[in-house]
Amino acid sequence: MTNSTSNSIENLKDLLTKHYDIKEFEEPIALQLAFNIDKESALDALAFLKSQGFGQLSLLTCIDWIESGQFQLVYILMNWDNGIHLQLRTFLDRDKPVFKTIQHIYPGVKYYERDVHEFFGVEFEGNEESYQHLFLEMWTADPPMRKDFDPVKYSDDKYSMREYTTEFPTKIGGK
Amino acid sequence: MAIDDKVGRDAWEKLGDFFRARSIWMMWYCTGCGAIEMPPTMTSRFDMERLGMGPMATPRQADVLLITGYLSTKTLRRVIYSYEQMQDPKYIVAFGSCAINGGIYFDSYATINKLDDYLPVDLYIAGCMPRPEAIMNAFNTLQQSIRKGEADGWKRYKKNSEFYKENQRKAIGEVFVHDEFHE
Amino acid sequence: MTLMNFFNALIFVLFAFFMQTSITGVNRKIMARLQKRRGPRWYQQFLDIFKALSKSSISHGWVFQFGVVMAVGGIMATVMFIPIGDFRAFPGTDNIFIISYLLAVGMLGMAMSAAGSGNPWASIGVGRALTNMLAYDMPFMVVVVTMIFAFKTSSVGEIAEIQRNIGVLGWNIFRLPLGGIVGLICLQGMLGKKPFDSFIAPAEIASGPMVEYGGRQLGMLFILHELMTFIEVSLIVNLFFGGGATLLEYFIKYFIIYTFANLVSGISPRFKIDQAVTFYYKAPLLAALVQGFIVVFTGWGVTKWL
Repeated sequence: MTNSTSNSIENLKDLLTKHYDIKEFEEPIALQLAFNIDKESALDALAFLKSQGFGQLSLLTCIDWIESGQFQLVYILMNWDNGIHLQLRTFLDRDKPVFKTIQHIYPGVKYYERDVHEFFGVEFEGNEESYQHLFLEMWTADPPMRKDFDPVKYSDDKYSMREYTTEFPTKIGGK
Repeated sequence: MAIDDKVGRDAWEKLGDFFRARSIWMMWYCTGCGAIEMPPTMTSRFDMERLGMGPMATPRQADVLLITGYLSTKTLRRVIYSYEQMQDPKYIVAFGSCAINGGIYFDSYATINKLDDYLPVDLYIAGCMPRPEAIMNAFNTLQQSIRKGEADGWKRYKKNSEFYKENQRKAIGEVFVHDEFHE
Repeated sequence: MTLMNFFNALIFVLFAFFMQTSITGVNRKIMARLQKRRGPRWYQQFLDIFKALSKSSISHGWVFQFGVVMAVGGIMATVMFIPIGDFRAFPGTDNIFIISYLLAVGMLGMAMSAAGSGNPWASIGVGRALTNMLAYDMPFMVVVVTMIFAFKTSSVGEIAEIQRNIGVLGWNIFRLPLGGIVGLICLQGMLGKKPFDSFIAPAEIASGPMVEYGGRQLGMLFILHELMTFIEVSLIVNLFFGGGATLLEYFIKYFIIYTFANLVSGISPRFKIDQAVTFYYKAPLLAALVQGFIVVFTGWGVTKWL
């Protein structure tokens, strides 16, 4: 069993390097493969992988690399035949994060794109519904999952706290 | 915020409080993670029906609204909706430390910290989550305070409605549910 | 029809309410013991009703409020015609047809006020309640017509007296056994207990017709439910179990039958409304018709009995 799956991971790596320019692969745990790809060929790679049997999109999420000024989108795809999870990562520019929607490839990504749009501010061209809120109603501040959003300050401003007295008649350990 | 002019209760109200203390119906709306402690309290081990309490399906039939746990802004909008549909006299019991001062979610952008500013609370129960023994003890306390006429959250809500509405508007904007299921 | 009759009738209604509400409270305790817990006090149902009457209530228009009043008034009038032993509030008026006709007033009053509230859950619940009524009335009416033919009288009190002539074996549950079983099955449907309580369904349709009631109307609806239960169980006691020569005998039979119905409901799941209707039109209707044929063509149980 492991022979065939490690064979299929090797086959997959060969197939991907043949078509796309990928510098390095990572294998976080068994049966998982992760690689980074540039933005222009990401859409093509997703369609290609769907045709190779990766029929399920498990997750779409985003990581905020604030020091290098980039967003990293991560698509996790799964193949039901040999059980391999594939992580496809692309970098986007942090000041103007724009990407294309992949609803025509995986229709269920509609809600993930709304989620990433709402919490990070990434725009997905072609997904008209992504501008509706999903979790946060009537949200007017910055997208909250960005690293430069301060939730403590927002919470203290908006929601009042209960005052506590800090002077007590006795102290710990007696008088 | 207590009522300053202590008008005594007339005989009808005392009689009503006698009945209302012994038969309290809770609303079947479990708002947060503390709702996990409600099924043990209602079923065989710590039987809540001994005190005369039981669940009812709609806000119109319920007396007490149990806020079990934290309240995000989305839930608070709907809780206020339901609270205003309940009929007087009505009570609120808040479970857990998230309603008192924010609990472990005090620094979250989505949860409120002090429930007292938005809804009039009659009783707080400390804990994260309070165990069924604590909940039964609290229901006993609630019954005694109703009997004495001290559980007047609904009167406070009507009297200080500008205070509550102002705070609600500041924290959660408009109390009107705009989501794709309603429109 | 003197003033004494009306006075008797009023006392009778109060007595019926008091008896039924206490028995409901005791049955809540019995059901709790069935579920291995303690249960509320025996007078808890009184506390619930008076608490509901003491709350403030909202209004959805005059149809909403009038419907409940009409239902409670109609049911109170029906209670006055039920016979217990030799006591009748208005002599000569305990005809089975009067009672079943007036019983519908309660349902229709509730339907009217639920429709007046405008809530879609209420309309669904009321539709189911009236369908339920259509289902259980068919076998029940076949058995009742059989009994009227057999005993040549349609007065409930006289049917009860005829059964008491021979002693225990003269009860209709032994004379017309199939009819008795059908009567008990229809009692479950009439009382609205599981397995036939899909029109109350708390989690599915938010308690059906009661969804918009709070405060005073809810208290009146509870009173309505108690009085309707009294009428229905009394009908079954008088028609199948020989009524009661004394009040104590009547009370014992009433308590046993109501507790039995409650215990059956405690262990049953809930039928969907279409399952309930098809159930009533299969076995109970067949049993009632078979019973009718036995009585009409062989006279077994009526003329050929001990």
